[in-house]
Amino acid sequence: MPEWRIPFFLIFRHLRRGSKWTLALIIFLMAIAFVNMVFASSLFNGIIATSNANVIETYAGNITIYPNAKDDFIARTDKELTKIRAVDGVKAATAHYQLPAASMKFKNIKSTFRLIAIDPSNEIQVTNISQKLISGRYLEANDSDGILLGAQVTGNEEAATRSFKGIKVGDIVKVTLQNNTEKNFIVRGIFYSNYIEADYQTFTTIKAMQDVAPYLRNQASSILVTVDTPGTEPKVIDGLKARGVNGDIHPWQDSAGLMKDVTKSFVSIDVILSLVATLIAAVTIFIVIFVDITDKRSQIGIMRALGVRPYLIHAVYVLQSVVYSVAGVLLGAAMFFGLLVPYFVSHPFALPMGNAHLVVNVGNFVLRAETILWVAIFSGLIPAVMVTRINMLDEIRGK
Amino acid sequence: MSLEPIISVTDLYKTYVTDEVKVEALKGVCLDIARGDFFIITGRNGSGKSTLLHQLGLLDRPTSGALILNGQDVNTMSEKERAAIRVRELGYIFQEYALMAELTALENVMLPAMMTRPMAECRASAKDFLERVGVSHRMYNLPRQCSGGEQQKIAIARSLVNGPAVIFADEPTANLDSIAAQEIMKLFRSLNEDESHTIVMITHEQDETTYASKLLNLADGQVESNA
Ligand SMILES: Nc1ncnc2c1ncn2[C@@H]1O[C@H](COP(=O)(O)OP(=O)(O)OP(=O)(O)O)[C@@H](O)[C@H]1O
Ligand SMILES: [Mg+2]
Repeated sequence: MPEWRIPFFLIFRHLRRGSKWTLALIIFLMAIAFVNMVFASSLFNGIIATSNANVIETYAGNITIYPNAKDDFIARTDKELTKIRAVDGVKAATAHYQLPAASMKFKNIKSTFRLIAIDPSNEIQVTNISQKLISGRYLEANDSDGILLGAQVTGNEEAATRSFKGIKVGDIVKVTLQNNTEKNFIVRGIFYSNYIEADYQTFTTIKAMQDVAPYLRNQASSILVTVDTPGTEPKVIDGLKARGVNGDIHPWQDSAGLMKDVTKSFVSIDVILSLVATLIAAVTIFIVIFVDITDKRSQIGIMRALGVRPYLIHAVYVLQSVVYSVAGVLLGAAMFFGLLVPYFVSHPFALPMGNAHLVVNVGNFVLRAETILWVAIFSGLIPAVMVTRINMLDEIRGK
Repeated sequence: MSLEPIISVTDLYKTYVTDEVKVEALKGVCLDIARGDFFIITGRNGSGKSTLLHQLGLLDRPTSGALILNGQDVNTMSEKERAAIRVRELGYIFQEYALMAELTALENVMLPAMMTRPMAECRASAKDFLERVGVSHRMYNLPRQCSGGEQQKIAIARSLVNGPAVIFADEPTANLDSIAAQEIMKLFRSLNEDESHTIVMITHEQDETTYASKLLNLADGQVESNA
């Protein structure tokens, strides 16, 4: 079928002899449309990934175990921890003992924050708060009056209402428990995880807890568990249940309640933005091909008169659209990975759920590239089919 | 030369229907064109010359009437078959040189050959024909870099490249000055006399009618004289 050389012959000449500026502009427009298509979804992926990572690493672990509905505590916590650590797929576990703090006072500011007693050596295997200190140092197991404050508590970040503005390492926080027991804690460090829920917390040691609330020993308010392999949470939960772990077991997703709703909105925003970008790509190609065809109408008529069949003329414009869209996708991908991704790595989006950068889902990326390609093919084909339906002689005369 | 005409037309009608207006462009045209004829069609503006040429050249379908080309009834053929005949057996030259703007002279001439022949052969025969019509020095130029006369010669080379049985030309010299026009006419004559191509040409120029071996005068869609 030697006639199939003709579309390639024509498109090659068109690209070589046509205006380079126009070509560059068209490809640039296609690239922008493609970037537009992948940017929002990558950003949303990034936000979701960061938020998920933060929920896991600063707040909930992969799995959180709460007391059963009828209980106030997880009884015999140490025994439970031993049981939990023996379950297949469990990497580490740490117990959180929430002190019933009625109020906290710094100078004359009175406020209330969650105060959690931990075993630092267990805690560092589960959460990464110890790596998020912006001043001071982390707690040590034998510390009997140290306290660690989240950035929201210190008012470093935005303004939590009634935060301890101006508080520094070494300052004293007076804690009053519900049974009116009082204790002065010394600020050892301030952490900023950039996950707002975590940054509203304060931590102390089990040793300090024994001073004010010895009755809480072995009565954890929650246990955080990390797994060896992310994604195996359901399996590990089954394992925990099979071991008879006493408590109400939840995967981390249950702690990300707010993000679940946000994710739904992200999906619909992403669909809308992608549709708009697809439309831009379609209209761009359609206009470009339409203008080119209008410009060449009499030449197309002549070709048909010479016996070049319509499908070959369609092929010319399909090829042209393929060239535009493939080049656009390649340029767009280069812009995306060469400029945008590095930019957001060095300038991440600071959001309450963490610092987000762009996270690409390969399948999604390829799907969008294919979408652009198909949309381009159809938008190029339509004017080509339209033009070959016109009477050949009218075309030659330019009517 | 065989006695059977290469084109034979009986009672050809073509009626254009546009919105509510009907134009009867051809009203019962009968004619025979023999192999080797230099067949010139004349007539006043709007007399139906181009319409007739388009029917003969399979660029359009008549409303009614018989059209036999090379012994075949071309009216009943599919568009695909007619396109194949156009590629292999017919050549066209239009008033506006009608070259592809983005192709060089050589590439323009190659294009119809590429429908059927290997690339090297297309190139070689395109070169031959450009030489034959006297524009081989313009081989690698784009149409816009050539004069009107040169462009028309390139178009002639293109019409020749597949070795057509009949060449159709609709006022091929109308846009040219008298010197260039004369060159083109001489080229047609030599194609007709030396290489026995059948040529069917429309012209408005009285002095060009002297090249004709047969002259047909159309008036109001009908044959007025046929000599
Ligand atoms: N596509 C068309 N639709 C409607 N009417 C047409 C069409 N083409 C030609 N006609 C009409 O048919 C008649 C014959 O036109 P044609 O172009 O064949 O004349 P012509 O002899 O070639 O004229 P000219 O010397 O101006 O080229 C004219 O009245 C013209 O207006
Ligand atoms: Mg005419």
